[in-house]
Formats: sequence, C-alpha cells, structure tokens
Amino acid sequence: MKVFAFCLVFVTGVMLVMTAQDFPAWGDAHSAPNQYLSTYYIQHTYRDTAVPNIVTAVLADYRGFDTMFETSVIFCAGLGIAAILSFGPRNPKRRKRLGLPPSAEGDLIIQTTTRLLIPVTQLFALYVIAHGHHSPGGGFQGGVILAASFILLSLAYDLNMALSRLSDRLALLWGNGGLLIYAGIGLICVALGAHFLEYSALHAILPATDSVMARSHAMLGVEIGVGFTVMSMLFSIYTQLVSLGSLEDGL
Amino acid sequence: MIHGIAMGCIALGIVFFFGATVGLLRFPDFYSRVHAAGKGDTLSSMLMLFGLGVLVLEDGHAADILVFIKIMMICVFVFLTSPTTTHALTDAGYAAGVKPWDRGEHE
Repeated sequence: MKVFAFCLVFVTGVMLVMTAQDFPAWGDAHSAPNQYLSTYYIQHTYRDTAVPNIVTAVLADYRGFDTMFETSVIFCAGLGIAAILSFGPRNPKRRKRLGLPPSAEGDLIIQTTTRLLIPVTQLFALYVIAHGHHSPGGGFQGGVILAASFILLSLAYDLNMALSRLSDRLALLWGNGGLLIYAGIGLICVALGAHFLEYSALHAILPATDSVMARSHAMLGVEIGVGFTVMSMLFSIYTQLVSLGSLEDGL
Repeated sequence: MIHGIAMGCIALGIVFFFGATVGLLRFPDFYSRVHAAGKGDTLSSMLMLFGLGVLVLEDGHAADILVFIKIMMICVFVFLTSPTTTHALTDAGYAAGVKPWDRGEHE
C-alpha cells in the first residue's frame, strides 16, 4: 500500500515538474498575462464590477470557477481526513495507547481572556469577509479567523466544549452548505439564462441593482459561502487531527 | 508638543524593548526569561503604539481620529493577550516540570 502511494505521488510529482517546463519565464514581458490580461483587469475591473479591490474581483468573479474548486478542495481535504481518522471503532483508549499525555486542566486566566477575545475575533472575521471588496480580505481569510476563534475555544477549555458549540456533524453540514451557496449562485445564473457564475444576470432578481452592482453583491454571497466552508472544514480538520479521530479529550 | 509626546513614548518604548531583549538573553532560567520578555514586550509595544497613534493625530485631520482609535484598540488587545500568553507559557513550563533557578545568593 505504501509502495503504491509512493508511486502515485511520484508520478504526479513528475507530471507537475514536466508541466512547469511550459510556464513562461519569470517576468517574461511577452507572456499572455503580462501582455493584455493584467492590463484588462486593471482597466476594466471597477467599471465591470464596482469592486475597488481587483484581487477580490479576479478571484470571486473573473475566475469564480477556479475559486469554487479551490473551496471544494478544502472541503474534500476535510472530508478525507474525517473519513480516514474516524475509520474503525471509536476507541477512547487510543490516546493512551499512542502515549499521549492526559489533557491539562482549564485555566481561569486563559479562559477569561478567551471569553473576552472570541466575540471580537469573530466580529473581525465577519468584517474581513464583508469588507473583502474594499480591503484585503474575503472568504478564505475571514473563514480562517473564524476557525481560529473556535480552535482558541477548544485550547482554552477543552475539545468537548468547542464541539458543543460547533459539532462535527454541524461542521460538515456547514462546509457542504457553503459550497452549495457558491454553486447555487452559479446555478441561479444558469436558471436566469446566463453562463454558470455569470453574476450580471442576477440583477433580474436582486432588487435595486443594475448588472454592475449585481456582480458586486454576488461576490459577497460567494465570499460568504467560502467563509462557511473554510471555517467549518479547518475546525473539523483540527478536531479530527488533535483527537486522532476520537473527537474527545483533545490537547 | 504632540510631536514631542509621540517621540518620547516611542523612545521610551525602544528603551523597554532593549531591556526585554537583554533580559531574554541574559536571565538564568526559563521563568525569569519569560517574565522579562512578557513584561517588557507588553509595555514597550503599548508605548510605541500609543506614540504612533499620537503621531497620526499631529496633522489634525478628523479622519485621523479613526486611525488613532484603531491603534488604541490594538493597544487594548496587546494589553489583554500578551500577559495571558506569558501566563500560559509559564503555566505550561511549570506543568512540564521545568525547575526554577536556585543557584543565586540566598541571604
């Protein structure tokens, strides 16, 4: 099995390295991105989408398809780790068998600080998600900050406390839901007669928008979906790894 | 005047940072090093942030007040988190059985 896995990884690596030969040289002025693509984004983004942050517009709109599959990669990673680690009977003595020390008791000072910090952290995460149009940020970053707040909770208290706030099942559901929000926005565009993820068609159903603002609003919806998936999947990966799949008595 | 206060705070912050670094390098054991790093870092970063915040206000634009408030919020969070981190580090060290230094003079 290990030999098979090594062969698979090796072949994939060789293929990746071979593909890298076809890339344009670093800073090549004649490559396609440097000749017209970047210029197009810089000149047209604000006119097309009313989003000042070009990076967000490129990620969530022009390359929305790519970002959707990036999100699904994160979802698949979380799903894969959950599937591997929770394979077999849930053995609470697994921890002892692997020689891990018993988890430390909670500490009042750390818990109080955590209780003060977590609301602010989560508010900031929502700000990062919602403000991705105007400043650095977006669904991935905000989702990571949200996940960090839950991980902080599980570090300051214990894993069961954090899981009582966001259970494993709920995390998987939310990861699914975030991806469904993303793909759903794309499918609504199809239903309205446009291409998949062609947000400008959404002005037909969004009130008080034109086709430019519809793209801006749809980007927000997509970022919220990404935020859901990243938050729940990172938290799920953390809980699975830290408890070796038993989901109890973490660090 | 405002410029002087800002520069004074930043200079004082640098002095405390220097002290924290010297303590981190020179103190004999884990606990006293963490103590130097935790206290010195907290105070000096707060002083420097306060100095930078005051420096922003120097021009007197109304929009700069928002930047000042943001910097002050960073101050509050540093004040909350940095001592807690020091406490967590020390606590973890004690739980892991790190022995305090006791080869000093006992008189």
